[in-house]
Amino acid sequence: MPDPALLRVEGLHAGYGRVPVLHGVDLHVDRGEIVTLVGANGAGKSTLLRTIVGFVRASQGRIVFDGDDISRIVPERAVRRGIALVPEGRMLFGPLTVEENLRLGAFARGRESAGHGSDLEGVFALFPVLRDRTGQTASTLSGGEQQMLAIGRALMSRPSLLLLDEPSLGLAPKVIAEIFGTLGVLREQGLTVLLVEQDVKVALRHSDRGYVMRTGTIAMTGTSADLMADDDVRLIYLGAWHEAALGGDGTPMTGDAR
Amino acid sequence: MSDRTRRFAQSGGAVLAAAAVLALPLVVTDRYLLKVLTFVGLNVIIVAGMAVLFGYAGQVSLGHAAFTGIGAYTCGFLTARAGWPWMTAVAAAVALSALGGLALALPSLRLRGHYLAMATLGFSVIANIVFVEAKSLTGGNDGLSGIPFASVGPVRLDTPWSNYLLVWGAAVVVVALVSGIVRGRPGRAMAALQGSEMGAMACGVDPVRVKVTAFTLSAGLAGLSGALFASAVGFVSPTSFALETSIILLAMVVLGGTRSVAGPVLAAVALTLLTYIDGLIPGLSKTTVAALQDWKGDIYGVVIVGVMLFVPAGMAGLARAWRRKSRSVTGAGEAA
Repeated sequence: MPDPALLRVEGLHAGYGRVPVLHGVDLHVDRGEIVTLVGANGAGKSTLLRTIVGFVRASQGRIVFDGDDISRIVPERAVRRGIALVPEGRMLFGPLTVEENLRLGAFARGRESAGHGSDLEGVFALFPVLRDRTGQTASTLSGGEQQMLAIGRALMSRPSLLLLDEPSLGLAPKVIAEIFGTLGVLREQGLTVLLVEQDVKVALRHSDRGYVMRTGTIAMTGTSADLMADDDVRLIYLGAWHEAALGGDGTPMTGDAR
Repeated sequence: MSDRTRRFAQSGGAVLAAAAVLALPLVVTDRYLLKVLTFVGLNVIIVAGMAVLFGYAGQVSLGHAAFTGIGAYTCGFLTARAGWPWMTAVAAAVALSALGGLALALPSLRLRGHYLAMATLGFSVIANIVFVEAKSLTGGNDGLSGIPFASVGPVRLDTPWSNYLLVWGAAVVVVALVSGIVRGRPGRAMAALQGSEMGAMACGVDPVRVKVTAFTLSAGLAGLSGALFASAVGFVSPTSFALETSIILLAMVVLGGTRSVAGPVLAAVALTLLTYIDGLIPGLSKTTVAALQDWKGDIYGVVIVGVMLFVPAGMAGLARAWRRKSRSVTGAGEAA
């Protein structure tokens, strides 16, 4: 029987230089699933994504993708293997145009002319606003458009697994909803998604399952509905504590949320 | 003007410029001027390669004179002392300088910014010491003389006219080749790396490979220029490949600008002619020419600092800004 998991991470340790960040992470993402990683700043969420594609070297443990051990992969190989990362901060090619950014997304596929047009059309169908911006340089786009371009660029490599690192960073709620709304479309197109998100409420609402990371390990896991109903998650990540303290009227509270 | 018509006009212009350059000996009868123009062509070859390295791959080299030297000494030694046929010697010269570039690039491209510049500077100094000390190969400070003219089969290129054609023929081919590279897949990879290294890697670009390739290519072209220099002049000595030459070459590339081949090539023409201005303006007083040549290091230094401070993208950057401006003006006119 084939493994239902497209991605399987087992006992993963990794870090930067001598500073360990991940202390034995276990998780899996099944084909066609949308899975969210939540957790406080510094819990290791971004590091986990970066380790999966090889920006960070795993010191221990295994990463299995589509049946193959890819623990020692380098980023430029990972994208050829079918894993596309949309990095935190988007990392677009600012001086290049929207179209050039998208075409570079297909760089790993080699001879770039073949099938380009239809892939571009696919991205424009997903994010129509990009169609009107093709000749504009990426640095002149709004934050939301930049995030759409970053996702579009990743899709141009025709990945089977899409890794999204903080897609909502610095965006207005309306734009966040628009971007998360496309995840369902991507799943219908056969994509599997693993995402890291600060906006826990939005992320869980748009995903099937979630993992809660705490200081470099998985602290909790479950379906998105279960996690949203969990008291700890509600208290720590969903801000229910604030609402309770304020009598539920949602008035903004001053002071450190943590 | 649409992109396609502009590209068509550009390539038409390039073909015309190449034809004009190659036809120049028909009108230029002055031997000295022709030799000066041959030097211009030699610098164009080096600078075309450095345009890729600096303007597209974003690497600063202070060592390219050393690669020119490797090419010049290799070609000179093999033809004058070892009796190799000219073509084979030139091929060996290019291969050896490219190999030197590869050997320097592999360890030092892990360094960034001024650390890489320091490594290439160190290489330049070491190479010059070798040129002086390896007397049995290089002739030491006295240099290597008696280098035969270029010859292809039975044809000996022993006139200033034929050498001009040889050098500029090579320069035209090199500029065309380099333009093709920066417009193609390697050019896109370099543009991506300049935009965001992490983003480029996420798209499948291998940064080390791209940078090493650019460095090796530019070193090989510098070696080609050196080999042609050796056979055109017939004499090679260490002073031609000192650090000052590397700085002059860098000044040309910096002035020419980033993300452009035409810019650095034009800057190479202009700055080389500046040193030999007496070839263009025959009536010029000897003291003026001598002063220009004595001060050239300082002039080029001021050029580098001035460009870095005020127009970091160089002449090509100015041209781009100007084009954008005129385009946005016409765009606004159409909208109104």
